[in-house]
Amino acid sequence: MTADLPLVELRAVGFAYGATPVLTDVDLTIARGELVVCVGPSGAGKTTLIGLLEGHLRPTSGELIRRGASRTIHQDGGLFPWLTVRDNVAAGLPRALAATDRGHRVDEWLDIIGLREFADHYPRQLSGGMRQRVELARALAGETDLLLLDEPLGALDYQTRAAMRRELIATLARRPRTVVLVTHDLEEAIELADRVVVLSARPARVRRILPITTARPRRRADPALIALEASLEDELTAPAGGGS
Amino acid sequence: MHRLLPLLTGAILLAAWALISALGGFPPATVPPPLDVVHGFVEELGSGRLPDDIVASLYRVGFAFTLSVILAVPLGLVVGRVRLVRAALLPWINFFRSLSPIAWIPFAIIWFGIGDAPAMFIIVMAVSFQLVLATAAAAAAVPQVYYRVAADLGYGRLETLTRITLPAILPQLSTALRVAIGVAWMVVVAAEMLGVHSGLGFLISDGRNALRMDLVVVGMITIGLIGIGLDALFARIARIPSVRWGFER
Repeated sequence: MTADLPLVELRAVGFAYGATPVLTDVDLTIARGELVVCVGPSGAGKTTLIGLLEGHLRPTSGELIRRGASRTIHQDGGLFPWLTVRDNVAAGLPRALAATDRGHRVDEWLDIIGLREFADHYPRQLSGGMRQRVELARALAGETDLLLLDEPLGALDYQTRAAMRRELIATLARRPRTVVLVTHDLEEAIELADRVVVLSARPARVRRILPITTARPRRRADPALIALEASLEDELTAPAGGGS
Repeated sequence: MHRLLPLLTGAILLAAWALISALGGFPPATVPPPLDVVHGFVEELGSGRLPDDIVASLYRVGFAFTLSVILAVPLGLVVGRVRLVRAALLPWINFFRSLSPIAWIPFAIIWFGIGDAPAMFIIVMAVSFQLVLATAAAAAAVPQVYYRVAADLGYGRLETLTRITLPAILPQLSTALRVAIGVAWMVVVAAEMLGVHSGLGFLISDGRNALRMDLVVVGMITIGLIGIGLDALFARIARIPSVRWGFER
């Protein structure tokens, strides 16, 4: 019966660090299976939004309902450096999974991310893109409903970012999940999102929600997408409507 | 070549010592000549006293060090992770860390009498407080993101401690343990000055009382060599991959 209810609902959610408001009056509903990308100027409270969705932070006003567990991939990388690739992925498996199935399940994930032969390496011995793939596998291995991504590709070079976006799409096609991703990269938003949520500068509110219906894989040269990106760019650089 | 270099510098120091002694360069009875020390070694080994002293000292240091780790590391974890405990205890841990272990000798005798206990007590006092501080500093510096991941993974308090905090601090902790075993071994001389009749520290104070400077040097050389061995052992522990997390490729 909860299956048809939205996975996440934010109603007039606000958050302040002490006296500094970061988010005000955010209304957002996220359906199961959706890929929502939040964009906004830097310092607009995107990471705070992830913290709220994650449950690490609690709204200081309004109401946030999350129906199901989540896993987060953090901006600064949360792989455990003291564990090998294999053990990091294993740490992400559902706790209830029987011990006999765990090794096999880890192998499956290592195959999906193509890092089977790096199973016994430590994170430090991998490239940035490889580490990101391990994080993705660990987060998805938990079989949670919601996947939260906080600028997951921010630390990568341009080529690797593009490759990782394709990989994210491909992996999600095999293991569907509801995803909320925050980024300042409009190209990333356009390529990945079912809906783009545009946040204003701090204190952030939702300026616009933009559905993108173009089928994936999306070609960067698609004129419709280029026009979308341009309009998003205008939106982000325009002064906030209403003053303050 | 690099492995032989220490032996070469040792040989040069030994030669200089022998030469100055032979030429009468040291005032009488201040520095024993090397040959006297060799005789001292032969005497102590022949009587079986030196091996006994080594075992006695290693036992006391080993026991006291282990006890210190058992007491100090858990306390350090709590001090490092719980702000209230840190505020309450940190200044006092610093206070006690500043006290020379020699200052505890009168209390050691009054509280523990004679035997192994007072010596072990002094070693524990010398090692524990700095070990608490080192553990606390490492635990406080573990990046917050790991704890957020732990919450996602559903770890409870104990699991967070054993699966996040402990492995995260192992590199710093292994270095702190290496320093601590060095201090524990260094303090053995002071710890065995009173209340015991065995151990390398006793050998030195006994040699001093009998004006046998050769035996004092025998004790010093033995302590120094075993110190090198203990340090090498703990350096090896620090290189285990799950401790170093593959810093070495």
